[in-house]
Amino acid sequence: MIPFIRKRAFASLVSLILLIVAVFFLSRLTGDPAALYLPSEASEEMRQQFREVHGLNDPIMVQFGRYVWDLLHLDMGESIRKARPAFDVVAEAFWWTLQLALITMTLVTGAAIVIGSLAAFRAGGFFDRVASVTSLIGASAPDFWVAIVAIVVFAVGLGWLPTSGTGSVWHWILPIAVLFIRPFGLIVQVVRGSMITALSSAYVKTARAKGVKARPIIFVHALRNAMLPVITVIGDQAAALLNGAVVIETIFGFPGVGKLMIDSILQRDFNVVLAAIMITAVAIFLMNLLIDLAYSALDPRIRH
Amino acid sequence: MKKALLWGAFAAATAMTPAWGQDVKIVLNEEADVLEPCMATRSNVGRITMQNINETLTFLDIKGGSGLQPKLAESWEQQADGSWRFKLRQGVTFSDGTTFDAKDVKASFDRAMNPAITCEVPRYFGGMTISAEVVDDHTIDFKADPVQPILPLLLTLLTIVPEETPVEFIREPVGTGPFKLTEWTPGQQIVLTARDDYWGEKPAVTTATYLFRQDPAVRAAMVATGEADIAPSISAQDATNAATDFSYLDSETVYARVDHSIAPLNDVRVRKALNMAIDRQAFLGTLVPDGTLLATAVYPPPTLGWNPDVKVWDYNPEEAKKLLEEARADGVAVDTPITILGRTANFPNNVEILEAVQQMLQEAGFTVEVKFYEVAEFETYYSKPYAEGRGPQLVVAMHDNSKGDPSFSMYFKYASDGRQSGIADPKVDDLIARASAATGDERAALWKELQAYLHDEVVADVLLFHMVSFSRVNERLDWTPTMATNSMLPLADIKFK
Repeated sequence: MIPFIRKRAFASLVSLILLIVAVFFLSRLTGDPAALYLPSEASEEMRQQFREVHGLNDPIMVQFGRYVWDLLHLDMGESIRKARPAFDVVAEAFWWTLQLALITMTLVTGAAIVIGSLAAFRAGGFFDRVASVTSLIGASAPDFWVAIVAIVVFAVGLGWLPTSGTGSVWHWILPIAVLFIRPFGLIVQVVRGSMITALSSAYVKTARAKGVKARPIIFVHALRNAMLPVITVIGDQAAALLNGAVVIETIFGFPGVGKLMIDSILQRDFNVVLAAIMITAVAIFLMNLLIDLAYSALDPRIRH
Repeated sequence: MKKALLWGAFAAATAMTPAWGQDVKIVLNEEADVLEPCMATRSNVGRITMQNINETLTFLDIKGGSGLQPKLAESWEQQADGSWRFKLRQGVTFSDGTTFDAKDVKASFDRAMNPAITCEVPRYFGGMTISAEVVDDHTIDFKADPVQPILPLLLTLLTIVPEETPVEFIREPVGTGPFKLTEWTPGQQIVLTARDDYWGEKPAVTTATYLFRQDPAVRAAMVATGEADIAPSISAQDATNAATDFSYLDSETVYARVDHSIAPLNDVRVRKALNMAIDRQAFLGTLVPDGTLLATAVYPPPTLGWNPDVKVWDYNPEEAKKLLEEARADGVAVDTPITILGRTANFPNNVEILEAVQQMLQEAGFTVEVKFYEVAEFETYYSKPYAEGRGPQLVVAMHDNSKGDPSFSMYFKYASDGRQSGIADPKVDDLIARASAATGDERAALWKELQAYLHDEVVADVLLFHMVSFSRVNERLDWTPTMATNSMLPLADIKFK
C-alpha cells in the first residue's frame, strides 16, 4: 500500500510542476495586468510605474525564477488586486468550497445509491420510471435557472429560507439543494445501470434461488460489485465541485474558489490563479488517491 | 404538513433577522478588493469608504445641487501667485484618536502621488506639477504649474489619511469620517460603525453592513425579503415595485468614438450621415429603459456648462443617403466596411443595441460589421496608441463623469493627445485649455461653446444615451439614489421614516 501511495504522489508531483509551469506562462500570455488594473485614462508613465512596483517589467524568466524561489520558501506571492497574500485569499475561499463539496457529495452518494438500487431491482416498474424521469430532468436542468427559481419560490415567495449569503445553517440549504440536483441525476442513472447488470448475474440468480431476501441481495451482494463504475463517476463529480461551483457561488454570494478563480483570471491576478490551481490540484490528487484506495478495498483483484 | 410549516416558521425566525433599527444593510454588485483610501475614486471602494470612513477637503454636492462645499477645509482662496490656500477645520480627530492637521493633508497628498504605490488619484492631476506646503497646523497651500482654477474641485478626490499611514495598500483605513471599519470578512461582509467622536453632525445610521451579490435579481430579492435595505443597480426588469424601486439618471454616457484619421470617417459628411442614420428615439423603452436621455455630450446634463441649445441629431435616413452620395461623388471611399467595436457585457442589451445600430447604418447605405471584445482587448482599441493599419472604426464605450465638470471628460476624449481621442482639432485643444484655466461664468461659457462646436461642427462622434440606473430601497428608509450613487453612497444622507 505504501509504495503505491508513494508512486502516485510522485506522479502527481510531476503533474503539479508541469501545471505550474504551464499556468505561469500561459496566464502571462493573456496580457498586462496594468491595462486592467489602472483606469483607461491612466498615462503610460502610471502603467510603467505599476509594472515596476509589481515586478512585471523584468524578463519573464526572471519573474518565473523569482516565483519558484518564493514557492520553495512556501510563499505564493501577493494578490495584486487584494493587496494580501495569495495563499490566504485562496485558502479562505477553498475552505467554503470544500465544505460545500463534501456535504453535497455525501448527500448525493447516499441518496443516489439507495434510489438507483431500488429502481434497478424492479427495472421498468413504477418506482423505476419515476426515478429515471426525475433524475434525467435533474441531470439536464440548467443550474442558474434552478437557483433563481429556488430563490423566488423559497425565499421571496414562501419566506422559508434566506435568499443568499452565509451566516447560518439555513443559508446552506438552497445552494446545497441546487448543487445536489445534477450529480444526483447522473449518479442515479449510473447506479441503476450498473445494478441492473449486477442483478442479472449468475451469483444473484443463485442467491435468489437459495431464497435470500431482496434487501441483502441488493445492498450486500450486488451493490459491492456494482460500485466500481459508480465510484469513478462520484470521483469525477466531486472533482468538478472542488474546482468550485461558479454559478452557485455567483448567485448565492457564496465565497468559494470557483468564482475567485474566474475573477482572478479576468483581472489577471496571476498569483491568485496559480495559488488556486495548486490548492485545488492537491485536493483533487488526495481525492483520487482515496478513490484508488476505495477501488482496491471493493475489488481485491485491483490490489494485485 | 404541520412539520413543514413549523420548520418554515423556525427558518424564517432564525435566518432572516430583518435589518430593523438604525442599522442598514446595503447589497452591492461586487466586493471591494482593498479599502485603500487613495483608490476611493474606484466605485467598488468609493461606495463604501468615500465620506463614510475617509473625508476630503472639499466635496461636490450633487444631491442638493449647491456646488462645491467645505468638508475638512473650512474655506479656500486663490493667492496672487495662482496657488490655493486652504484653511482647515479644527477639532477633528481620526478614528485612531490622532488629531487632524495640515501635516496629514500633505502626507495624504504625497502618499497618493507616490509612485511606490499605484493610486488612482494621480491621473486626475495629470499634465501639471503640483505640491502641497504646510503653512501652519491649520493652513495648507497647493501650488500647481500651470495654475489650476479647479484645484478645489480636484481635491474632492483626495481622501485624507493620518500622516503615519504607510506607503503601501492598506486594508484597514483610518479616517476622519462619521464611520469606522469594524469588520471585514472577505467574501462575506464589511461592517462600518458610527463614531461617537465625529466632528460633524451625528448620522441617523449607527451600523452599516455591506453585502455582495453579483446577480441583480438576487440583490432585488434581498430588499424584497428584508435581508437588505438598499440595492443599487438592479436591472430594469427587476424594478417592478413602484413603492421601493427608483430610476434615476446615472453618470454614464454611451457613445461611439469615431476615428477621424481614417477614411471615410475623416469626411464630415460621412460623420453627419452616421448620426442621421440612427433612430435614437426607437431605442427608448425598448432596448434602453424609459427615462434614458438622448445624448448631446459625453457627460450628463447636470454638468457645468451644459448647453441646452445643442439638439440631438434628427433621424433622417434620406438626408444621410444624400450626404453619402455627395461624399462618394467627391471620391470618398464610402463603401469601405466600418467596424463597430463593442465591449462584452458593457451595459444591458449591449449586443442588441449595437446590432440595431448596425442595421440602421446599413439601411442608410453603410457597410458595417460588429465585433465584441472582452475588457482587456477592448482597451487596446479604445485607448492610444491605436493599432497601425486599422480600418475605420466606431468604438462603442460607456463613459462615467459624476464629477460635475467637463474637464474630467473633455481632455481624455477630445484633446489631440487625449488618450481616447479620435480627433485632432486645434480649436478644440485651445477651447479645452482655456476652459480648464477659466473660472466661474467664463468657464461655463467656454465649455458650452466647446460642447456645441464638437457636436454640430466637428461632429466628433456618435453620441447615443445618457443612461439610467435602478435601485431598490426599503420603504423604511428616507433616502433616494442620485447620479452620484454609483460612485459613492454617503451613509449620513440616509434617514429613517
